[in-house]
Amino acid sequence: MTYVVTENCIKCKHTDCVSVCPVDCFYEGENMLVINPEECIDCGVCEPECPVEAIKPDSEPDIETWLALNTELAGIWPVITEQKEPPTDAAAWKDAENKLTLLSREPAKV
Amino acid sequence: MNATANTVPNFASDQEVRWCPGCGDFAILAQMKKVLPTLGVKPENTVVVSGIGCSSRFPYYLETYGMHGIHGRAPAIATGLKRTRPDLQVWVVTGDGDALSIGCTHLLHALRRNVDIKILLFNNRIYGLTKGQFSPTSLPGLVTSSTPMGTAHEPLHPLSIALASNATFVARSVDTNAKHLGEVLRRAAAHRGSAFVEIYQNCHIFNDGAFDFAKNPAIRDDHIVAIAHGEPLVFGKNRDKGIRLDVAGPEVVTLGGEYNEPDLLVHDEKADTNTIAQMIAGMRHPLMPEAIGVLRDVDRPTHNDLMRDKTPDPKSRETAVNRLLHGGETWTVA
Repeated sequence: MTYVVTENCIKCKHTDCVSVCPVDCFYEGENMLVINPEECIDCGVCEPECPVEAIKPDSEPDIETWLALNTELAGIWPVITEQKEPPTDAAAWKDAENKLTLLSREPAKV
Repeated sequence: MNATANTVPNFASDQEVRWCPGCGDFAILAQMKKVLPTLGVKPENTVVVSGIGCSSRFPYYLETYGMHGIHGRAPAIATGLKRTRPDLQVWVVTGDGDALSIGCTHLLHALRRNVDIKILLFNNRIYGLTKGQFSPTSLPGLVTSSTPMGTAHEPLHPLSIALASNATFVARSVDTNAKHLGEVLRRAAAHRGSAFVEIYQNCHIFNDGAFDFAKNPAIRDDHIVAIAHGEPLVFGKNRDKGIRLDVAGPEVVTLGGEYNEPDLLVHDEKADTNTIAQMIAGMRHPLMPEAIGVLRDVDRPTHNDLMRDKTPDPKSRETAVNRLLHGGETWTVA
């Protein structure tokens, strides 16, 4: 089992989860974070930290797409180990729907 | 059980894992789930025995045989099991309270007898399950619910105790150091005889940060030295420090000036005596960097080897019992 970052993270990218993860398994894209399922230890500490409830266990229904996306992008994006400021317009995107089309597959600039 | 010859067995059970979010136990469980399928031992030939404590919930979460035993007595239960079923691979999962307070003598004697079991001691320096009282490995001054003025006494040091018990395999790793922990677990499984592994495990709730020096990426390289057989003890973020054996004991030296790598202590996990291993186990934060890795790995007859020679065959056993019951040292009470 693993936890997975889902749609709500796109263009919000709060990084509260990063500050609590004991194994540093978050990876950062331009406008989203993902979890590396190979490294996640299922401890669940990140789930309640997310202000937009983007983190879910992979036992949730219809999560396969997101699990595949997390697996793929964690292999491309750089690891993020420290919390940083969210995008200035994060609040405006909080409840937006169908954000998947807005996902940037580009890695974060570090 | 899914353990046919052509598939990788799945060691994860269907039980909901119940530890506090962020607990180091999750990291150790994750590694065990990765390591066990690589050992060539089927789930049905693997047994995990535990005592009492947060760590002792382990058997529920692995699809092996298991026993959630009585407090501190997991080594005794495992000894009996290995004695009667030498074909099984037996693991003991215990904590600092279970192994070093309640069941300390069981641990010592399992190790000195070299029972072929693999003992994982999750050391979080606190009683977590009972909500945060000091444990035998708590450091002096630790304020807990049972020590509001801070703990008064010196802690026990698991590696030193294991070496003093003549354990044939002694190692230490860190819960979230996944690669290192995985390798240490593999080495422990491969060892024939008692394998003792201390795992620094963070209790996120009651003793958070107890092993920050060994876990925090910003500082850990300057506070831990990863030892390897035949390699000099080099450490530091820039690999510019080492451990040299002075007449007064191990000392930290800076490389590149007066001392260089050839001057350093070279680790020998197969040394004839455990004297140097004890010195390495005695290196403690904050005075010294602490060692992680395998401190000692030597061959010695196991408990089963030794007892096989001491056990009479069944035919002569009856004669021996008769001789005992009817020998000269008996009398009849009028």
